[in-house]
Amino acid sequence: MDERITLNHGSGGHKTSELIADIFKKNLDNEYFTADDAAVMPAPEGRIVMSTDGFIVSPWEFPGGNIGKLSVCGTVNDIACMGARPLYLTCSYVIEEGFAVADLVRIAEAMGETARKAGVKIVAGDTKVAGKGQVDGLFITTAGVGVIENDVSLSGSYAKPGDSIIVTGDVGRHGCAILLARDEYGIEADVTSDCAPLADAALALIKAVPETHVIRDSTRGGVGTVLYEICDQSNVGIEIVSDSVPVDPAVKGVTGLLGLEPLYLACEGRFVVIVPSEFEEKAMEILRSVESTKDSVVIGKVVSDHQGKVVMKTPVGGMTFLPPPGKELLPRIC
Amino acid sequence: MNEAAKILQEYKGPKLRIMEVCGTHTHEIFKLGIRGLLSPDIELISGPGCPVCVTAADYIDEACYLAREKNCIITTFGDLVKVPGQKTSVSKERADGASVNIVYSPQDAALMAEKNPDREVVFLSVGFETTTPSDVLAVKYAMDKGIKNFSILTANKTMPKAYEAMASATDCYLYPGHVHAITGTKDCYDMLAKGTSGVIAGFTGPELLTALAVCVKKSQEGEPFLVNCYPRVVKDEGSPAAIKLVDEFMEPCDALWRGIGDIPMSGVKLRSKYSEFDARVKFDIPDMREEYKTPCRCGDVLQGKIKSYECPLFGKACTPDHPVGACMVSDEGACSAYYMYGGLI
Amino acid sequence: MCVGLSAKVISVKGDVALVDSSGAKREVSAALLEDLEPGEFVMVHAGAAIARITDDDVSETEDLAKEFLS
Repeated sequence: MDERITLNHGSGGHKTSELIADIFKKNLDNEYFTADDAAVMPAPEGRIVMSTDGFIVSPWEFPGGNIGKLSVCGTVNDIACMGARPLYLTCSYVIEEGFAVADLVRIAEAMGETARKAGVKIVAGDTKVAGKGQVDGLFITTAGVGVIENDVSLSGSYAKPGDSIIVTGDVGRHGCAILLARDEYGIEADVTSDCAPLADAALALIKAVPETHVIRDSTRGGVGTVLYEICDQSNVGIEIVSDSVPVDPAVKGVTGLLGLEPLYLACEGRFVVIVPSEFEEKAMEILRSVESTKDSVVIGKVVSDHQGKVVMKTPVGGMTFLPPPGKELLPRIC
Repeated sequence: MNEAAKILQEYKGPKLRIMEVCGTHTHEIFKLGIRGLLSPDIELISGPGCPVCVTAADYIDEACYLAREKNCIITTFGDLVKVPGQKTSVSKERADGASVNIVYSPQDAALMAEKNPDREVVFLSVGFETTTPSDVLAVKYAMDKGIKNFSILTANKTMPKAYEAMASATDCYLYPGHVHAITGTKDCYDMLAKGTSGVIAGFTGPELLTALAVCVKKSQEGEPFLVNCYPRVVKDEGSPAAIKLVDEFMEPCDALWRGIGDIPMSGVKLRSKYSEFDARVKFDIPDMREEYKTPCRCGDVLQGKIKSYECPLFGKACTPDHPVGACMVSDEGACSAYYMYGGLI
Repeated sequence: MCVGLSAKVISVKGDVALVDSSGAKREVSAALLEDLEPGEFVMVHAGAAIARITDDDVSETEDLAKEFLS
């Protein structure tokens, strides 16, 4: 095998076949993984769920994972948020000419390992090679299919006043890990991305608490963005207790130095879960029994006041608004 | 702390206007929801704000000129990126291909110059007294290392003249702790001698509540007062090393404050013997200052003379996405907060 | 102005100090403070240690409350 990816690897000829056999098939293989134009699988019983997500992350490797792992977690978690069991994924790679083959192997390995862990099969893929400078390293797009095996129905529009809001672990760790990996601000800290597949937790939750209203995957916009989305979709307000939002101490240190809000840093292994308050205890018990969501915490409740806004109870007993999302995260000096 | 909160909640008496003059105070007061804890007889006024918010439009235009016309690498604190100039902003220039690098510290900007010897690197030097020593340290580093491709575009400001200019709008200043960690307490005592009260405050919830409660208590005694409520950080003498360093490199100059206007001798710039590090001199930047005429009434909002919505630009020409005045630039600015939350906070 | 964060000095080398703020480490300028020692607490702003501090805001506010608020 060559040391670096060349345009030949994307030409569809024998170099492409070699790449697929030695890297992708080797790491991702299963009974449905296809060399044909499309994969054929048996139709599952129940409603089908489908989602897609593109991944660009710089650097492509970071403490706690790489883009291969991330691209599986992202789509698996999106599917799981609908209460579905993720079944199949496809992946499409766009690789920059000159990318190291050894690195591609690491990415494919992480992808295979994460897929097995998440119980999902990668059944088809595509590889394109782009000229030097046309992409930054590599981009991966995954699409996935899952099945809803019961009559559960989840949506960001189902939040009701009185519901309890749970976040399934500390916030902002992925965003912070990436920020540190870029090494733009000369800060060092021991922060690992929270990147993880969460389907098992979602399935356990809806089995035990089918009354669950919302499961939402908190990704690039962080938990803050998810809360605002839910306010909008459900025409409600949200009230959280700022001290109850779990933040890793090192993340606190980094965001403190740079003046950033951890609620707006990306997570890649955290759900925001909304359940009727009478099921809060049961939901917490289930989530805490699953490894990937064992640090779940109730952070607040859905309210009928101040529709469309996220309000925070502050440590000194005051009330404030979480500034709305959508702004580029920039370190502050003042 | 509970005692402090109780004092603030239960105060009844003549209207007490307390002005905070620090962006981070404004930010923390907002983030902690402190306004909602105060008696209706206490009004917190967000004063001039932060050095970024008060950076004038023509300064941004100068920075964009350096990026566009002189192909300089612009290095800047993150919060300055979105601040609008008269026609453009640093973030718009970046989108158009200008080299813009956000740094955590001015010295990182000098390091960038060292690593890119064939490009001119300019640091956008904004800040009050707290930040200016760091800016000077970057210049000193470049000087000591013989780095020729580094310069700073100064818009550094100093507080004492602003304190004087805004004194009539407040009964008591909440002085910015980190400014006075550098400058000491002398400026505050000078204000006291002119009859203006104040407390020097820290930034945590308990520190802010305590400082505000001290304000309320002392005000009831009737005499002008000054209390250093942040002695773990602020010493009377400040930081003599920082004062000496800044004085060696910088000299006072007039400065234009966004939304407020000119305040004589309220800024500092590099002394002429260091002009090789002064981007304005080095690149012979043309005067960008257009006649400063704007219907923006930031100054009146800052001084509590009008409410945000009484400004003719509010919500029309001036919004959080397209701010005109200082009070709309940051999320916690008086106008921005009013726009987003409708006066609820 | 002036996002400041208290941090503990880990080591000092000439004019540069390595500081730690709840696990976030960074090199900052120590040029503004004389004879900085490892173990001391400083206020950090824009890459410079601007003041020697005590890390105890609790007893400070308690003292103030005792003196002025009771």
